[in-house]
Amino acid sequence: MEWVSGLLASEPSSSNFFTYIFISLPLLSVVLGFVTYAILAERKVLGYIQLRYGPNRTGGKFGLLQTVADVLKLLIKEDTRPKQADRPLFWLAPIIAFVPSFMVLSAIPFTESVVFANFGVGLLYFIAVSGLTTIGILTAGWASNNKYALMGGMRSAAQMISYEIPLLMSLVGVVLFSGSMNLIEIVEQQQYVPYILVQPIGFIIFVIAATAELNRIPFDLPEAESELIAGYHVEYSGFRFAFFMLAEYVYLFAMSALITVLFLGGWQPIPGLGFIPDFVWFAIKFSIVVYMFMWIRATWPRLRADQLMEFGWKILLPAAMANIFLSAIVKELFF
Amino acid sequence: MNGELLAFLILSGAAILGGILMINLKKVVHMLLSVVLTFVSLAGIYILLSAEFVAVVQILIYSGAITIILAFGIMLTNHKAQEERSSNRLRAILVGVGVIIFFFTTYAGIKNLYFGTGADSLHIDNTQKIGESIFSHYVIPFELVSIVLLVALMGAVVLTRQREEDDE
Repeated sequence: MEWVSGLLASEPSSSNFFTYIFISLPLLSVVLGFVTYAILAERKVLGYIQLRYGPNRTGGKFGLLQTVADVLKLLIKEDTRPKQADRPLFWLAPIIAFVPSFMVLSAIPFTESVVFANFGVGLLYFIAVSGLTTIGILTAGWASNNKYALMGGMRSAAQMISYEIPLLMSLVGVVLFSGSMNLIEIVEQQQYVPYILVQPIGFIIFVIAATAELNRIPFDLPEAESELIAGYHVEYSGFRFAFFMLAEYVYLFAMSALITVLFLGGWQPIPGLGFIPDFVWFAIKFSIVVYMFMWIRATWPRLRADQLMEFGWKILLPAAMANIFLSAIVKELFF
Repeated sequence: MNGELLAFLILSGAAILGGILMINLKKVVHMLLSVVLTFVSLAGIYILLSAEFVAVVQILIYSGAITIILAFGIMLTNHKAQEERSSNRLRAILVGVGVIIFFFTTYAGIKNLYFGTGADSLHIDNTQKIGESIFSHYVIPFELVSIVLLVALMGAVVLTRQREEDDE
């Protein structure tokens, strides 16, 4: 840790620059590996839940190379651009959507020693920066010059505004109990009792709002194949489309990691099982959360646009407010 | 030259670039994105000044919420996507002279300003300190601001209500 702080204060030089790149490269490869196999796992899980096999040809019996083949196809595909599209914005939109998805990863503590930024307001940083992606999606929808794309982009923006508020409100309970917005301190506070037991209502609200922020079924109105064909990325092909997909799955990674850190105790073991190393604990909890997201996707129908708005403002927001009051009372009386 | 100065130069350059693009671009959505560039660079400058909380709130409120509301305003109202401008040479010269005079008066005003030695413990418990001073020392202004916001909110509700009755 001290060595890194020393590097931060030293003069900028090329050796400095490459050190930072070599520090962050392993995270990048872990995330890309996760995305590759999360897509495969999602298709497999969806397949088994719907009584099908899912991918089972490319790369052996389990389709292990299916995503690799898909990505290769996307990369060598022709990169089309509509003639009437707004050229600079069409080019810029995938970048605006993608960059924040990697920026949020820096705030997440994976184990006690694997921490990238010890940030005093890590929790708020995550929520704030992830909101920037919506601007990218909105830009993509507008720049494509296509009715369906524009509607998808607008829906995404409306959804983000309505669900970011309950998302933040449901976290106030966690912040009240831990007395900190630093993600590392929040994990350290959960040494004996994870916050899912102290904050069950907050956990449920957060998971619902997070599903909406991730644009996944039942809240995938920005993409809704049956009504909007594919929403904001309908005009994108090749590697630009791949960027949007990558951003989506990196957010799945980030959001699952955040839920693990906030509510499931991060790398903290179940008392008595401390001999299992901390990164294994993180991986187990993280995988359970990712599986839960896939399960929700497989078993829920899509909401209608008006139901989505009503649910956000009339049910989730009051419930989150009530949760704050309840947490404050519980904290005053029992802690 | 240290990293902090380098970061400051990049961020302030990006903020000024965003402002200039905002004024000079023709399409409204392009202007919107250049404002976002300015907002994000300002957040970066706040981080350099050890004001993490202000920086994150800047991104959350300005780059997130306000930009989206602006985008809705642009896309849901009738307007020309492209703006035509008439250039007037006399006016341009007058404005240019005004800008130069403003620069020199401001520069003369702040040239000898002394802020005292820089505080070096600002980053410790930044958020906690902000909370403590808001809820102890500045509690009355804070409550007043919240009342002003509430009144604005109610005003917006009243205005939309009246329009609905007119429609009937």
